Parts: sequence; structure tokens; C-alpha cells
Amino acid sequence: MTGEVERFLIVGAVLFVIGALGFFTRRNMIVIVLSAEMMLHGVSLTLVTFSRVHHNLEGQAFTIFILTVAACEAGLALSLILALYQSSKSLDIEFWTELREPDLPPPMLAEDAEAAAGIPLPPLAFPRLPVAGRVPDIHDTRDAERVDDAASPTAESPTEPPKPEDVIKTASR
Amino acid sequence: MDQQWVARPQRAWAQLAAITTPIQGVPPEFLDGLAYLDLRLDMDWLAEHWLEAASLALLAAGIWWLMPPAPSRPKVVGLLLALAGTALLAVRLHAAAGPLLETVLFFLFAAAAVVCAILMITNRNPVYSALWFALVTLSTCGLFLLQFAPFLAAATVIVYAGAIVVTFVFVIMLAQQSGAAVYDQRSRDPLMATIAAFILLGALLGTLETAGTAAAMRGSPDLAQDTGETRTTTDTAAANALSRPAEDESLASMLALGRSLFGDYLFAVELAGTLLLVATIGAIAIAPRRRRGTL
Repeated sequence: MTGEVERFLIVGAVLFVIGALGFFTRRNMIVIVLSAEMMLHGVSLTLVTFSRVHHNLEGQAFTIFILTVAACEAGLALSLILALYQSSKSLDIEFWTELREPDLPPPMLAEDAEAAAGIPLPPLAFPRLPVAGRVPDIHDTRDAERVDDAASPTAESPTEPPKPEDVIKTASR
Repeated sequence: MDQQWVARPQRAWAQLAAITTPIQGVPPEFLDGLAYLDLRLDMDWLAEHWLEAASLALLAAGIWWLMPPAPSRPKVVGLLLALAGTALLAVRLHAAAGPLLETVLFFLFAAAAVVCAILMITNRNPVYSALWFALVTLSTCGLFLLQFAPFLAAATVIVYAGAIVVTFVFVIMLAQQSGAAVYDQRSRDPLMATIAAFILLGALLGTLETAGTAAAMRGSPDLAQDTGETRTTTDTAAANALSRPAEDESLASMLALGRSLFGDYLFAVELAGTLLLVATIGAIAIAPRRRRGTL
């Protein structure tokens, strides 16, 4: 039933859709751009498959142009992300919801809803390695203290994110 | 068979008419058109397509399970769901009989691409996301190699894994030195987004199946034995002349690719060069000036 060509197209479609899903759901701007690049991978795979089906090289030539445009896009996106990061000190895309349509309501953030419902935030610390050069000891009380410090929500979570108005003022200054 | 495809626009119009008119006054050929539309969600459809539906549902459930906002879910369950979905999809794709080595390599690269893609969009740490993206790129390059595109595979490894991923990791390290952040632990509407995305995927797969059936009815050659050396299709008349490999040339020939790029697509190559220049200038212009000692 499944042809030799169709399976490559199916993998391309799956990559495209998973990339689109990441683009829609993630809030880190860098992961969003990475998801867009993965959508381009799906399209490239489809084009190369078409090139094989028709036995000419147009699909491969198109894929080279996709590579070029992806490189340009990555460079521009990263400099944009750095500029936005300098304004808001965060990679969160939700800081820039001021750019939405004026008649739409502001988005409801998951952590705000959970805070309203009284659900505590999960610990945000990544596991920490001991200082280099010291023999790691899992019973070392100082390391345990350090992990406790990192796991406490006051140490990690920002106290108050800057308002978008302030951010825009900072950016325009 | 040809008449059927020539008559397709009329048929589509008839289907539209059949949907919009009451059933009682519909001539039988309109009902035939309706059946052609595959709109019957009856037991036959389910019996034919349960494998695709189950694999898509498992993949969607796995992705939803792995999505960030749930702190207490064990990750293993989501991973197992996603792997089961990938395996079912592989079973669905396995019907074609080709050379054993290529089949094995295809399933290796395809499964790696899908699983790494799922892990990339669900990982809470953007550095790991970038690394999983590099693995997706490598798997895609393997699939390129299987499609007689060795130059593209090499170029993609160099450009993506060598340049883009490194730059991304560099920016992550620069901007997110404190490690985990709140916005990485949350996602926007994961359930609705997953459902919408997999409805889109189901529609894409359905379209592919319809198109594949149409191609089989037109009598496309079997590409399972294709080695890229010989011309296997006859419908290349519409192609640009320089983009066709010569009679004794392989599809994987870099000479043919260069002839296509600098023959048929010369202006596009010039435009791409200009685009690179403009993007470089733009990136330098956009990138923030920084005070000493700050980002």
C-alpha cells in the first residue's frame, strides 16, 4: 500500500507538524525559532522526495535556497532575540503581547492561573554539580544547603516581571 | 482512466451541489461523487485506517503528556506513548518492499527524526532542545542521503548542525545563564494545540493517501528498485531543461546539481547572495550595542 515515495513524504509531514506544534506551544523565543527551523526540515525532505519522483534536480536546488533563507532567518532572529532580551531581560514571548491586535484580551498565563488557584510553582533549579576539583560527596552538608537554596522559589523566580510599558519605555530610551 | 481525471473539476462541482441540496432529489451520480469524497465515517473507513488513527492518537497523547506544564507526570509514560505511536507509524509504512539495507536505514533515520523532534519541542531546557534539534538535523540528512542528495546532506550538516545550532546554543548561554526559567516550565494551551496539530497531520496523511492512489492509478513506476541512475518517470517534460540529469548521469551527481543551480536558477542564486548580504547587514544593525560588562 505504502509506496517508496509516500513514506518519505509522511516523515516530512510529521516533522512539519511537530515543528508547528512546538511553534504554537513553547514560550521561549529561541525554542520557537528552532521549531520553525524544524518545519523547514520537513519541507526540505518533501522537496528532495519530489526531486526523486520526477527525476530532476529542481527540488534539490529549491532545498539549497531553503538552506540559504534559513541561515539568514536564524541570524536575523537571533539578533532580534538579543535586542528583545536586552529590553525585557527575559526570553519569554509573553512580554511582547503588547504587539497583539488591540481588541483582543491579554493572554491568560498558566502560572498566573495556578497562583490564583493556590498551586505552588515546582522547583526551578537544575541539578548542580559540586565545585570542580573537589571530590563529590553526596553526604556533604554544604552541597545539600546549596541545593536547598537553589530550590527555594525566592532564589530563582523573578519577584516582579517588568510591565510591558516600562519595557517599551526602556527600549525607546 | 484518463477521462476520470479530466472530469475531476466537474465532479468536485457535483459534490458541492450534492452536499448543499437535500438528499431526496439527488441523482445517483451525485451520490457516487459523495462516496468518492470519502466523507463516510463508517466502519469500512475505520477498518481501513485504524492503524494511522491509532498511531496519530498515540503520538498526540505522548506529546501532550510530555509537554511542560505538568510537573508531576512521570516522563517515561509519555516517552513510551510516543515510541508506541512511532512504532505503529513504522508498521503502517512497512508495506513497501525494497532493498533491505535501505529499508532498515530509512526506518532508523525516520524514527530517530520523529522521536528527537518530539523530545526537542517538549524539553524544558532550551540547551537540550538545541541538541535534540541537531539530532533531528542529522537524521534528516540521513534521509537526504537515501534520496540521492549527498551534497544537500553535507551542506545541511555544515549549515545547520555546524553553524545554526552552535549560534543558538551561544545565544542561550548568553541570555539564560540562570538555568531554568518559569516560561520554560509552562506552555500555551498544550491540549488544544496538540489536537489541532494532529488534525492537520491527519489531513496531510489523508491527502497523501489520495494522491498516492491517484498516482498508482496513473501508473507511476515503482521507485523501490530505483537507484537514481536511470530515468524512471516520463513526466519530466515540464522541467527546466538544465535541471534534468543527462542520460548517463545519476540523480546524486553534483555536476548536474551545479548545472541546475547555475543554469536554470542563476538569477535566484544571485538573489540568494544578495539576501545573505542584506541579512548580514540587518543582523549587525539590529543586534544591540552593549555597555561594557553587560549583555
